[in-house]
Amino acid sequence: MLAGCGLPDGDYFGRAAGRADAIDPTHFRWCSQGEPDHLDPTLAWSTASWQLVATLFDGLTTFGRDGLPVPGLATRWDVADDLRTFTFHLRHDAHWSNGRPVTAYDVAHSVFRVAHPLTGSSNADQLASIKGATAYLERRVLVLRRAAGPYRAGDVVEVVGEPAVDVSARTGARPLALRDLGGAPGAAYAVVPPGAPVTLMMISGGRATLPSPDGAAWAYVFWARDREGVGGWVPARELDGEPDGNAVVRVRRAAAKDTPISRVGGRRVPRDAAGGAPDRAPGGAPEGAPDGVPGGVPGVAPRRVPGGVPGAAPGGLPGGTPDGDRPVVTVRARDVVHSTDAIGVAVPDPYTIVFETADPTPYFVALTAMIGLRASPIEAWSRWPRRWDRPEHIITSGPFHLVAWEERDRIELVRSPTYWDRGAVKLARFTSLSMDDQAASTNAYFTGACDATAANTVPSSYLPAINGELRGGRAYKDYQVAPFLGVYFLWIQSQKLPNRHLRRALALAIDRSAVPRFTHGGEIPTAQLTPGTPIARLSAAERAACGVTEATPGVALLMADGQCYVPPPGLDHDPAAARRELALARAEGGVPDHPIEYRYNAGSEGHKQIAEYLQAAWAQIGVPVRIVAQEWNSLLDDTQRGEFEISRFGNVGNMVDPESEFLVLLRCASAGNRGRYCSPRFEQLMDEARTLTDPGARNARLRDAEAVMIEDAPLVPIYILTQKHLIEPYVQGYATNLIDQPPLWRIWIDPGARPR
Amino acid sequence: MIRFVAGRLVASVAIVFAVATASFVLLHAAPGGPFDTEQRRSAAVQRAMEDRYGLHQPLWRQYGHAMAALAHGDLGVSMKRDVSVARLIAEHGPISALLGLLALAAALVLGVAAGAVAAWRRNTWVDHLVMTGALIGISIPAFVLGPLLIAAISLDLGWLPPARVDGARSLILPAITLGAIYLATIARLTRGGLLDVLDHDFVRTARAKGLSERAVIARHALRVGITPVVSYLGPATAALISGSFVVEKIFQIPGLGTYFVTSVAERDYPVVTGVFVFYAALLALLNLVVDLAYGALDPRVRESSP
Repeated sequence: MLAGCGLPDGDYFGRAAGRADAIDPTHFRWCSQGEPDHLDPTLAWSTASWQLVATLFDGLTTFGRDGLPVPGLATRWDVADDLRTFTFHLRHDAHWSNGRPVTAYDVAHSVFRVAHPLTGSSNADQLASIKGATAYLERRVLVLRRAAGPYRAGDVVEVVGEPAVDVSARTGARPLALRDLGGAPGAAYAVVPPGAPVTLMMISGGRATLPSPDGAAWAYVFWARDREGVGGWVPARELDGEPDGNAVVRVRRAAAKDTPISRVGGRRVPRDAAGGAPDRAPGGAPEGAPDGVPGGVPGVAPRRVPGGVPGAAPGGLPGGTPDGDRPVVTVRARDVVHSTDAIGVAVPDPYTIVFETADPTPYFVALTAMIGLRASPIEAWSRWPRRWDRPEHIITSGPFHLVAWEERDRIELVRSPTYWDRGAVKLARFTSLSMDDQAASTNAYFTGACDATAANTVPSSYLPAINGELRGGRAYKDYQVAPFLGVYFLWIQSQKLPNRHLRRALALAIDRSAVPRFTHGGEIPTAQLTPGTPIARLSAAERAACGVTEATPGVALLMADGQCYVPPPGLDHDPAAARRELALARAEGGVPDHPIEYRYNAGSEGHKQIAEYLQAAWAQIGVPVRIVAQEWNSLLDDTQRGEFEISRFGNVGNMVDPESEFLVLLRCASAGNRGRYCSPRFEQLMDEARTLTDPGARNARLRDAEAVMIEDAPLVPIYILTQKHLIEPYVQGYATNLIDQPPLWRIWIDPGARPR
Repeated sequence: MIRFVAGRLVASVAIVFAVATASFVLLHAAPGGPFDTEQRRSAAVQRAMEDRYGLHQPLWRQYGHAMAALAHGDLGVSMKRDVSVARLIAEHGPISALLGLLALAAALVLGVAAGAVAAWRRNTWVDHLVMTGALIGISIPAFVLGPLLIAAISLDLGWLPPARVDGARSLILPAITLGAIYLATIARLTRGGLLDVLDHDFVRTARAKGLSERAVIARHALRVGITPVVSYLGPATAALISGSFVVEKIFQIPGLGTYFVTSVAERDYPVVTGVFVFYAALLALLNLVVDLAYGALDPRVRESSP
């Protein structure tokens, strides 16, 4: 369409470049990827949301120019040698937009909000490496409030069988005045009527919860009022009813990998801190166990773990602590609590936060830059749990503050006067235009309505006009292409097509050099699963770090601390080998007698062209394939249930790590394993890699694992995604990185700037 | 008359609940759910997200909750964005309505005029020209016309903005794109309706009185001849003011029409039910208005109506 009406002749696709006097040097206008779903870091799930959330909320670390973590709220951090304990030291000069200092409690409480089942946060998976976080989400771990059987008060126990009752249900005989911690009853913003059930979520003075302001325990409760609900603190003694308190729960000591072990600076949890009335009836009736200790003060004691019981470590992992004997006891619901103390987060002082992970987690520091671990303001999300991210309620901590949100139109941000590094923010104003339609976005840029477009908002039909194909190879200089940490691949359902030789034949039959004919966006053909930067484009120093030469084919993934992962070579185009593999498959009876079904999601010309190309390539080696175009949600549903033979798919990494973002897909129990691949050898290598704390050794083991997987061909990589941007030449500091997390607050406008 | 209106209102309520039921059943029968994703999401997280919106309750109970809320005028909350559906409609509806009314006004004025001229000069080159234009207008879909207008008028000439609502000028191209097909349809209906009545007795009487053909058409025939247009206006108005997915997408207009498609694709159950119920109610109301307008326009209908 653009081609038909005359493309600009000059070097630039955008028009604003020639009008330096019309450019406001303090205002950046961005055509974003569309309407964000939320601006609340605990709830936001779309890419369009993430990039804005990252400018509004500070994290312990944030994504730097290269997509690797840089200090944010944390100025420094200590990583234990076993890569299981991470201690972050926070700056003292960070403030919320309401003036309150940002402390470690804000990070911890935000993590607890994300981890709580009632929040239903899509970002809870970002916490999966933290001890107990997933078990807490599933309500599988509880903390004992009194001794039972061999267990002591304060022990973390796991529920045996299905939890039948809600141990967190509480009521008050008198109205509960929900307020900020330590507030007077008169300062309440919501009052729960007597007898209305609330959910106990946090207790003051826990491992990572705010200390009590007055010596008595305070409880944070959630009241499911209306559709949104409301949360707040009340003195714990006011929660005098436990609707399910007398029900019984069967528990045993939690697996070591779910049990936080670090001791928190001697603080104690008062007896009534677990949020209920003092005992009026004798406690629970543990199976063959002495009764509890009435009135005892359960501290958070260091775990004593009986070690060395041979063969008795069902939940234990290589390198972990054996779980020993874990008898099951029956307790009353009132004797356990669904407590944040079961999560591996501790706040020993307001400016220090400690995370414990179940396994060595070399990428944990990068995780803290993800939005699920950013700080969020409890005073705001307590009052308006689902709407506090609106301009009228929002409290921010990042470089920008939200002043307007016109839905599906635009979002207006201004430089935050309270951000600790505000001097480094050169823009006074940042407008994000919510462009749902790619053509509309590119048209808006073309006519000067925005200064830059977010990644991948150029429609593929426009690409030949912009990338130079229609101008004798002269791409516009404001068009930028960079590799993206994402890969387009095909799942081959390993249980439906179990013959390994058949899968290998399918992979070997594909000539990926044809890909650019269909995609037009500089996509990089690949037969490797883990994406990265093409080795040919690396600097000499980077090649040295990766241990490769200029002639090495494929890509390398540059990681934090100078580490480099070079994925093993894939099954690239080799028709002769494909035919050999197919013959082997036929000999084993592994080729179905019906045409194999290939699915893709309807609506994209590119997917269709690739499907037809693959069909032709497979026909050449003698494998007939039937193409099925399916609506996106139906395809997701079918592939999730394993109901397919071959389906096009893709995977995008949210941070720079081969294991957590790519190889994990192929684990037997992985939620993303749509192809139902399950290889004992691969599992073993991945398990071994998890125990290795030396980054080089870990990368080598991961590479071995990836090689095992590639040889089995449960998926067929096709190309590495790219990110396409249109950026006016006067926009400076727009850093594109592998994970498309540009630090947008680092941008400045230089009206006089000319070609880069 | 009052009984007629009351009966129609009662029927409208039944229609609203029928539409809500149909959209509930169809949507839950479709594969997938609102929280399906291509990302790696653990079963535990998926479960917590779905539990927040009660998606694991038995379907009959979910249906009961939805209908009970609807009876109280509560359309629910978007599962994807946590915005109330009533607010979605209140915020995005007016933009669609404004755009639709602009398109409708233009289509009505120009369409009736063009149709009348064609009837007046029937079987001349004027008639052929107008009707050919109308045929083209009906045949070109908005997803072709819109980009063509953008390419020519916004990108090439730079006269009007290509996207977004920003001042009255920005509504011109979307209104043309949206109204074109209605203009063409109205022109054809007007011409057809007029030709039908032109040999009726009352027209012959008017001619016999010595009125010019123009006056006959404008003062007498048109009133009755446009009844097909009036009956078409009910659904057309509802369609226009409730927004068009295609036009809103092409021009990046934050209207309501987008939700008819995106909410279904996203399986955002409350939004789907909400916008369809809103549309059904609007349609029922406008059809009632049309039926009342018939009577006002054509004495014969008034006499025979209950």
